[in-house]
Amino acid sequence: MPLLEVTNLRKSFGGHPSVDGISFGAEAGRCVALLGPNGAGKTTTLRMLAGLLPPTGGSISFGGDPPGTDYRRQLGYLPQSPAFYSWMSGLEYMIFAAKLSGMAAKEAASVSGAVLERVGLSSAARRRIGGYSGGMKQRLGLAQALVHRPRLLLLDEPVSALDPIGRREVMELLRDIREETTVIFSTHVLHDAEEICDDVILMNRGAIAVQGTLARLRAEYSLPVIRITTAKEDKAVRWLEELRHKAFMEEASISDGRAVFNVSDVGLARRMILQEAAGLDIPLLQFEAGSSTLEDLFMKVVGT
Amino acid sequence: MDKVNWGLIAPLLALQILLAVVGLISLARTEQVRGPKWMWVLLLVFGNLLGSIAYFTLGRKEL
Amino acid sequence: MSKLWTLYYREMLEAVRSYKLIWIPVVFIILGIMQPLVTFYMADILAASSNVPAGFMDSYEMPGAAAVMAQALGQYGTIGILILVLGTMNSLAGERSSGTAELLMARPVSPVSIVVAKWAANFTVLIIALVLGVAGAAYYTVQLMGGLAWGAVAAASGLYALWLLCAVSLTLLFSAWLRGPAAAGFALLLAAGMSLAHSLLPSRTAWLPAALPGMSASVLAEGRVTGGPMISAALLIVACIAGASLLVRRNKLPN
Repeated sequence: MPLLEVTNLRKSFGGHPSVDGISFGAEAGRCVALLGPNGAGKTTTLRMLAGLLPPTGGSISFGGDPPGTDYRRQLGYLPQSPAFYSWMSGLEYMIFAAKLSGMAAKEAASVSGAVLERVGLSSAARRRIGGYSGGMKQRLGLAQALVHRPRLLLLDEPVSALDPIGRREVMELLRDIREETTVIFSTHVLHDAEEICDDVILMNRGAIAVQGTLARLRAEYSLPVIRITTAKEDKAVRWLEELRHKAFMEEASISDGRAVFNVSDVGLARRMILQEAAGLDIPLLQFEAGSSTLEDLFMKVVGT
Repeated sequence: MDKVNWGLIAPLLALQILLAVVGLISLARTEQVRGPKWMWVLLLVFGNLLGSIAYFTLGRKEL
Repeated sequence: MSKLWTLYYREMLEAVRSYKLIWIPVVFIILGIMQPLVTFYMADILAASSNVPAGFMDSYEMPGAAAVMAQALGQYGTIGILILVLGTMNSLAGERSSGTAELLMARPVSPVSIVVAKWAANFTVLIIALVLGVAGAAYYTVQLMGGLAWGAVAAASGLYALWLLCAVSLTLLFSAWLRGPAAAGFALLLAAGMSLAHSLLPSRTAWLPAALPGMSASVLAEGRVTGGPMISAALLIVACIAGASLLVRRNKLPN
């Protein structure tokens, strides 16, 4: 039985549907990416799941409880741009948050320190949050979402506002966290979803375009395509041109030492091409077979 | 009535000074104020009670 | 209950860090002791400024201790109320506009406890400020003018506290709905409107909370106390807390 069961969830603002009847489940222990362009309804969905917005229709059931049961105690939530009391210290905020989620004072204090250590904020724990950088605030946001050991973690675009280093740090943390709790996080970057998630829900215009496990989607949305990059040598360029005339070749586009081949049989084509390349000593730089078209699918959904 | 009882007036002055000093400490610590900081310094030092009240209620953007 | 305490502790911590717990009581003390001092030295002040008509000084008569005490409380009805309202206006509005409400509301806390914690914190500041202010005013009045009936001073202060609390509660209610300055404006307008109605039609509006300041003054002059304004003030305060809680439940997010 899924930890979270969402059925025909809808939300409209002033008659305009923002989330238009979505249904999905999140199994315990999984990491689910809510993927989609800006304005797809991801934030609205997460806010409804966090109990911050009343749905216009549909139901949310947590842990098998009847819909409408308050499950906020089991929930960790990180909004897109978390705002804190700037006059508080990081540690004070963590203890405040832990107590509000039902922890006793002693436990709240010890757990808060530990979680801050984990997100790398222990040296800043006693400093004013007002002096934190954007990356530090995001890590504090993650810490406050984790402090009461929630069964479900909702993260709204946890890395999109960060610079590459901050993004790396938070992604590493998420990789860690997903081992111990169920995570639903929204992102508009396919790469982020592919990096750490088991399941993908691709949303556009308030509806779910595609959903499933990442492995299944990868298999389903992979084309018999072979991509080759070679060094720019005459020998290699000539060889690529000759590949056009192979029996398995259906379509080829070659430019500047880069080739994309549509083939009838990926397995056969891969064997033959690699054998030839080895035999002729072709300076291969890259070889990719059966590439995923999730990116294309994503772009198609985003583009429409 | 000719003799002004300074024992009674001194506490009033002390409180006024305390208020201005607290305001100046707060002003030094906060980054975001409405308008230029030097204006609030002048109001706190020379603005008496109303200057201090104005700073604490209107001067700060947060807190 | 422990969550309510956690929320209240946070509010009080903010009151300390924002210097609210210092500056509001200090202003109240200054207002309180200034009244008897200015009254006592009025003759000197007038004499010092040259353009006072000659006969004017002779007709000046020092008011009694009770009257000065009532005037001091009257200061809290004007500047005091303004300060308290401005100090309360961002209680709920600030959490919405800064976005801190979003993290707060995602936790298992009820809107009522959020509102009650804020109300209680503002009430605490009010009581501390008023008690210290009245103590200062009473001390100076006794030193300069003569004895006071302590029971009457306590009763008069209690009545005034209730009126101030009405204004604070109204501000909290509007703060759950509007932006801070607008909330302060509406609350002050409503308080002023009630006072105006009471001064125009005192007999018909004797039950309004706005009758409390007048009653407070008359207690000092050994007048009578009626229950009407106290009951209506209590009802108004409860209604403000309930209304603010409902609004917080509905407007969880700024958009």
